[in-house]
Amino acid sequence: MSDIAVRVDHVSKKFRLYHERNQSLKSTIMRGRRSVHEDFWALKDVGFEVPTGSTFGLIGSNGSGKSTLLKCLAKIYYPEKGTISYNGRIAALLEVGSGFHPELSGRENVFLNGSILGMSKKEITRKFDEIVDFSGVEEFIDQPVKNYSSGMYVRLGFAVAINVDPDVLVVDEVLSVGDADFQEKCRQKFIDFKEAGKTVILVSHAMNSVQEMCDHAAWLSHGDLVMMGEAEPTINAYLSSLHGGAQH
Amino acid sequence: MRYLKEVLDSRELLANLTLREIRGQYKRTIFGQLWSLVNPLATMLVYTIVFAFILRVAPPPGDPSGLDIFAVWLLCGLLPWAFFSNTVQQGMGSIIANAGLVQKVYFSRIVLPLSKVGSVGYNWLFEMGVLVVVLVLCGSFVWPWLPGVLVMMVVLAMFAAGLALMLAVANVHFRDTQWFMSIVMQIWFYLTPIIYPLSLVEEQSEIYDGLLGTDITILDIYRLNPLERFVAVFRQLLYDNRWPDFGDVLFCTVSAVVALLIGVWVFRRNERGLAEAL
Repeated sequence: MSDIAVRVDHVSKKFRLYHERNQSLKSTIMRGRRSVHEDFWALKDVGFEVPTGSTFGLIGSNGSGKSTLLKCLAKIYYPEKGTISYNGRIAALLEVGSGFHPELSGRENVFLNGSILGMSKKEITRKFDEIVDFSGVEEFIDQPVKNYSSGMYVRLGFAVAINVDPDVLVVDEVLSVGDADFQEKCRQKFIDFKEAGKTVILVSHAMNSVQEMCDHAAWLSHGDLVMMGEAEPTINAYLSSLHGGAQH
Repeated sequence: MRYLKEVLDSRELLANLTLREIRGQYKRTIFGQLWSLVNPLATMLVYTIVFAFILRVAPPPGDPSGLDIFAVWLLCGLLPWAFFSNTVQQGMGSIIANAGLVQKVYFSRIVLPLSKVGSVGYNWLFEMGVLVVVLVLCGSFVWPWLPGVLVMMVVLAMFAAGLALMLAVANVHFRDTQWFMSIVMQIWFYLTPIIYPLSLVEEQSEIYDGLLGTDITILDIYRLNPLERFVAVFRQLLYDNRWPDFGDVLFCTVSAVVALLIGVWVFRRNERGLAEAL
């Protein structure tokens, strides 16, 4: 395996800001155009490399392009310019419990959700006990998930996702699910992950958890990559930019 | 070819999504799967009363089976139509219905419309099974023709899948598509000889003969409709119990392959933009 897990190469992502958007045929014909829009570059020529085995944090204020970049990494959006290349299997955790069907049992949903996240049936069967154990909903696994409490729902979803076992895991701010006990379990899982030499890319606003978990970080601001490198100096630079010298 | 491999790799996901539809569909109903029979049966009852009893439409008896029961004759055409129509309409809405999923997880999006083909197809298979029982009870010797029926079911599923794929993409960009298609499907239904026999169209066509001084008759135009051929083939197999007309089978197969190829092509070209367009 090479040293670079993910290479983001001059990535730019454009969105259209619609002043007028004609999503129906009638308005398109009546107005004589599909839309009036201007381009908005959510990411501008962002490039960095994520070393294999590192835990990589994406930080920045709201609207800085973190989530857009995350969605590009997760192959939900495709950048207009530049490429993203991976080494190994990638899984993205942007939402927990994607595709859960409320009327189906927890067991059925584990298989459904697992296969949406790209696991094979064999894999899920093998990890099933581990997933259920991790989620802590053993007693209710054969109940329809609509009867679950929101905490149980999220925990089951998270337990499936964390067991996908990719080489690169992309995580949005989902660490903050469940009670303290469950969060501790998650933290332990991330440490195991790291020890197994896997790469984690995460987005968070909670600087102390970024500081605690990440060894590398990239700071985005208005679609530009401001700084990238070791976690601590990057976070400090970001934090001091926030205070803007107003306090000191 | 790489795309084909990607789709093949998602076959487990496709199976799971299809199961989700099937299992979720009739949850918490008392009659469960029987509900899938109620709709065609109710339609059959209404049409039989209106067209066989009031308007006295008399389709030719099955040749050589000798069957002469309007309701059964109707079902042989109505069930394939209902499958087609439901697949197209549900497949068309499948991307929008799963918008949350499309915007949060990466997977081969084509499985969404295809899972609808699978779940509607499952219901259809069940309905066709009941139809076979009815046919046998009515004295039809349908058994040797069942493999042919199964093949044609797959061909019709391909045709429906192709249309559903094209329309699913169109529907993401223009939400008018679903409303427009509900009208189109209604017109299409009446332009297909499901509730009346083709012979009535033939008679009218002979009166007008060649249109505008050409050799093209109304019947020629009428028979361009692939569903007309599908219904004809299903009736030949199930109701008449004979080898279907080769020309009809060829027409069905070619239109199914063309529809599927265009559908996959259109879908593939637009797949990447779907998450944003939603």
